[in-house]
Amino acid sequence: MHRYPRWPIHLILVIVSFVMLVPFYWVIKTSITGENIFNYPPSLWPVDPQPFFYVDAWYAIPFPRFFLNSVIVAGMAIVANLIINAAAGFALTKSFPGKRWMILLLLACMMIPFHATIIPAYLITAQLGLLNTHLGLALPAFSHIICIFLFKASFDAIPPSLIQAAKIDGVPEWQILLKIMLPLAKPAVATNIILSFIWSWNDFLWPLIIVRDVEMQTLPLGLSTFLAYFEDTTGSLYAFCVMVLAPGLLVFFLAQKQFIEGLTSGARKG
Amino acid sequence: MEDWKGWLLNRVTITFGLIAVVVIAWNLYVQAHDDGILEGQVVNEAGEPVAGAKVVLSERTIVSMTSIAETVTDADGRFHFEGHDRHALVLTAEMPDLARSARMEVQLYFKNQNRRLPSPIVLSGAA
Amino acid sequence: MFARKSHREYLLVWLMLLPALAIFMLFRIIPLLWNGVLSFQFWSPTKPAEFAGLYHYEEMFLYDDVFWEALVNTFKYMLTAPIAIILALLLALLVNSRIRGRGIYRTIIFLSYPLMVVAVGIIWRWLFDQRVGLINFSLRSFGLIDEPIAFLESFATALPSVIAAAIWQIVGFFMIILLTGLQSIPQNLYEAASIDGASRWSQFWRITLPLLRPSLFLCFVIGIIASFTSFDLIYVMTGGGPGHATELLITYVYKTAFTLTQFDYAGALTIVMFLLFVGIALIGNLLAGGDAGRVDIAD
Repeated sequence: MHRYPRWPIHLILVIVSFVMLVPFYWVIKTSITGENIFNYPPSLWPVDPQPFFYVDAWYAIPFPRFFLNSVIVAGMAIVANLIINAAAGFALTKSFPGKRWMILLLLACMMIPFHATIIPAYLITAQLGLLNTHLGLALPAFSHIICIFLFKASFDAIPPSLIQAAKIDGVPEWQILLKIMLPLAKPAVATNIILSFIWSWNDFLWPLIIVRDVEMQTLPLGLSTFLAYFEDTTGSLYAFCVMVLAPGLLVFFLAQKQFIEGLTSGARKG
Repeated sequence: MEDWKGWLLNRVTITFGLIAVVVIAWNLYVQAHDDGILEGQVVNEAGEPVAGAKVVLSERTIVSMTSIAETVTDADGRFHFEGHDRHALVLTAEMPDLARSARMEVQLYFKNQNRRLPSPIVLSGAA
Repeated sequence: MFARKSHREYLLVWLMLLPALAIFMLFRIIPLLWNGVLSFQFWSPTKPAEFAGLYHYEEMFLYDDVFWEALVNTFKYMLTAPIAIILALLLALLVNSRIRGRGIYRTIIFLSYPLMVVAVGIIWRWLFDQRVGLINFSLRSFGLIDEPIAFLESFATALPSVIAAAIWQIVGFFMIILLTGLQSIPQNLYEAASIDGASRWSQFWRITLPLLRPSLFLCFVIGIIASFTSFDLIYVMTGGGPGHATELLITYVYKTAFTLTQFDYAGALTIVMFLLFVGIALIGNLLAGGDAGRVDIAD
């Protein structure tokens, strides 16, 4: 490769990293500083660090409840996604009349962003009596078309001889799916889990639309409720913000590689 | 392919295991110390305990401060509150028409945390 | 391929497709059609529907200034895509060079993407705060301005501020996509080119960029989708204000439907927004020369 000095690259990257990290630092600093957060000029370091913004936030609105709601809804979405998407992806590996139309239909559905459907989705959910429920929150996110195609691509890549052999042995179809194909499609499973987790965990608009009671709010909605109640008046807002970000960041650091692969492969077709 | 799953599982179980342990330990600690006992002493500017001073306990929320309890110091200038059910409080002491103290903030780590004030409340003002 | 299929196999296929189809029927197709129907009706939850013809569309295009403002703002917001892509390309090139710690840089830059947008909005609100925000503080400390700028409260700076926050969040994601694209370019192409005496600059233009086209296009599409669906950030940072300076079509749809409860007019707005989105996506697809990536990341 060409020989060029390395340090300018490092310099630029360090500056960029600084810009990317400073917002985190600033919010964390605000949430633990002991000085009045509205003092100008603001101190660059936390002054007399204290944890009482977190205590205030904990007792101001129910973080554990919001966390639980988010976990339940995300859990439902993940499980449903795995089952529905794997089944649909599996079905799409077979050839059957109308398969081309089915695929075209699914591709067309991909062009309909969720945000173009919010009004009737709300009306439908209301008709189903699912307003303000965990199931109602999770239902629109039960399946994602990208994930179906991901499974299809993974299943298509499995050597047909394996499947043939199983069929000759008389293994029923669903067992073929479960015992042979899914284990060989682990990346697709991981991607599915990550994508459905992220889209459910961070979802704000849908909970905003269908949740009526404070106890059913999920974390993003809880955060915006905190903002609405207390506006800019307290540092507890930033403590709450950190509390809300913490689980997501934790999951990210635990599964970093799968995360990045999942999100980028989810952004490609199949 | 099997490798990464096993290794990931380890990291995940360790992390969540640790979190679970910390959460349980913290909850046990809270259970053992949450009677809401708040004790302290009222002294005058010379450092001598003041008996019969009125001590007012107020709760401090993000947007307000309202009094919730009152008591009177005993012969040693000590006072005792219990079961206040709050996590952020303010104490003031006064001898009516004689002297008052500055506000003392009491910030607890959890509701009803037992606390003995490290320093006394100082009454000052015209006698 | 089998010559003849059994009925059971067909049944199985349709059974396995059924749940997915039900979900998409219920939450994609029917809602889209319902929106279309709504847009031609007078309807509210308490009254039966009446046919309205083009009334709502007339009102939208001829009399609704907020609609036009939201439309223009949505187009302005689409600027996040090219700006973020250029930055991400630069970063991807830097991170791709053989330096130590590239994994760390990659993680740090990508960190902003998986975060909850609501939280990102709150963080940036605080950074842009007029009294004690970090940005005003830095500008004043460096002597660049004398008076603090009310970033999120003035008409001129509100939308650019939100765009800045959006760029911050998405640049890491674009960088990862472009990195993957860069890494799939065979090295021997560069070697052959330098043997032939091509300068690095011309190698970039003639090898890197053309081969990156699919990735660049992918980023562009994702950016466009984001500008149509960026509800969370606007809601938390400015609520659409000041006035309607940061109102996007999606926030306007939400307000019309759920704050003013004008479901029928909001239905018409949604249809227009959807057609616009599809139109831009198709134009982009054509410009990129075909099927270079039909995606939907904002599911």
